[in-house]
Amino acid sequence: MVNKQTSLGDRYAEITVVLLTLIALAVGWAYKSGIENASVPFSAEGISVEAPKGWLQAEPAGTELLHTVDINSNGFGATYVIRKVAVTEGATTSEVASLMTLNYAQDLLAFRMLDQREVTVYGRDAYEINYVFVESNPDLTHAQIPSVVRGTDYVFLNGDHAIVVSFQADEKTYDLDLGRFHLFLESLTF
Amino acid sequence: MSEVKALHERKHVWRDEVLLIISLCVFVGIVYFLDGAFKPVFNPSTLTLTGVVLALVPAAIWLTFFYLQDRAEPEPKGFVLGVFALGAILASAIGIPVVDNLFRVSHWLRSDTLTTILGGILVVGFTQEFLKYAAVRYSIYNSDEFDEPTDGVIYATAAGLGFATVLNIQFVVSNGGVDLGVGIIRIAVVALAQAAFSGITGYFLGRAKFESEPVWWMPLGITLAAIFNGLFNWLLGILNRPTITLNGATSNTWMGLVLAAVVALVTTGVILALVRGSIKSLQAGK
Repeated sequence: MVNKQTSLGDRYAEITVVLLTLIALAVGWAYKSGIENASVPFSAEGISVEAPKGWLQAEPAGTELLHTVDINSNGFGATYVIRKVAVTEGATTSEVASLMTLNYAQDLLAFRMLDQREVTVYGRDAYEINYVFVESNPDLTHAQIPSVVRGTDYVFLNGDHAIVVSFQADEKTYDLDLGRFHLFLESLTF
Repeated sequence: MSEVKALHERKHVWRDEVLLIISLCVFVGIVYFLDGAFKPVFNPSTLTLTGVVLALVPAAIWLTFFYLQDRAEPEPKGFVLGVFALGAILASAIGIPVVDNLFRVSHWLRSDTLTTILGGILVVGFTQEFLKYAAVRYSIYNSDEFDEPTDGVIYATAAGLGFATVLNIQFVVSNGGVDLGVGIIRIAVVALAQAAFSGITGYFLGRAKFESEPVWWMPLGITLAAIFNGLFNWLLGILNRPTITLNGATSNTWMGLVLAAVVALVTTGVILALVRGSIKSLQAGK
């Protein structure tokens, strides 16, 4: 028995190991996406949406129709909120967004507006605001310093109401969570 | 020369593995006892530093036994340390970022039993086992120093312990230190498990180098190691599941150590038998 040289068979075996690992990871990614993108139907007051499965649906407060939180998130849990806000006749999305911003500035710690613009979201006119704040709610379940939270709201007008869809997530995971939020947003009907 | 060397069984390798398992369990017991008896008080910095030092202990124990006993046909110490370091680097540079940041397994892996097993095998298992395989396959494997089947187990174990060391350091640092009693058990469990799964890959690597194995041989080795990795983590999750009572939540982490020690012992025994069989068949056919 000798220390044999690398043969063609060895090379094929080596390539097969790499391919097998890539296939396993690709299947793993598909499986992960299936789990993360799984949804449950939600419907209230003429608004329907596919809410993430396995998230905690908190008791809606005030104008909120849906308030769902990813309890498996690190730091500040990714949160989707749908609000239905009564508006006066002739109100524009930017005016509703300004009102939202004022409320945030009063309620949220270290609130800062990053940018705002008119956009089209899956065929609907909307107004987008991007903002940031520091988590300030007391939370006995998190033994960590408060997180910096990034948020994005989309304001849609629907007759005498505005529908405000909010996405808030820890700034460290915001970009990674954004894809899932777009699926949520795409499923929104009213 | 090469023919004679390749037929050595290198019994000390198996002794080292068993001594690692026993020593780690004894070490865990000592730390746990000292922690309970003296209840040392740490500030955040010393707690983290102590945890990092403890994370280095399993590798230090194995390397010490290995160097003390590897005298008949000594492996170059720099090579063993180099593969250990490579395992650590790959864990830090690729393994942890892929599993924690890209796949974000903490978000979904514990959703249900099937997901825990499938995700544990496909994502965690394959990532970790491929990287440990790569640490050996693309470094020492083509060297003349990799000159007997048992070398696969030696170098793969070194890579596995390097990988485990970084996993443990990351765990300590990300938690800002760990409770000594529970922390040392976790460190020992990760080290024993990673070393055991690496042993499987190492056996397949050793045979792949010295025998004409089919193309599916090495993929089979990685797959088996990944499956054991995934199943182990699933079982560990069940054993470590907290019990909640009116007095609060408790978790019996000792069961995890027992599981890891049993898995490591059984794996070592099986690989020993397989390597012996391999050497006998090589002797018969030489």
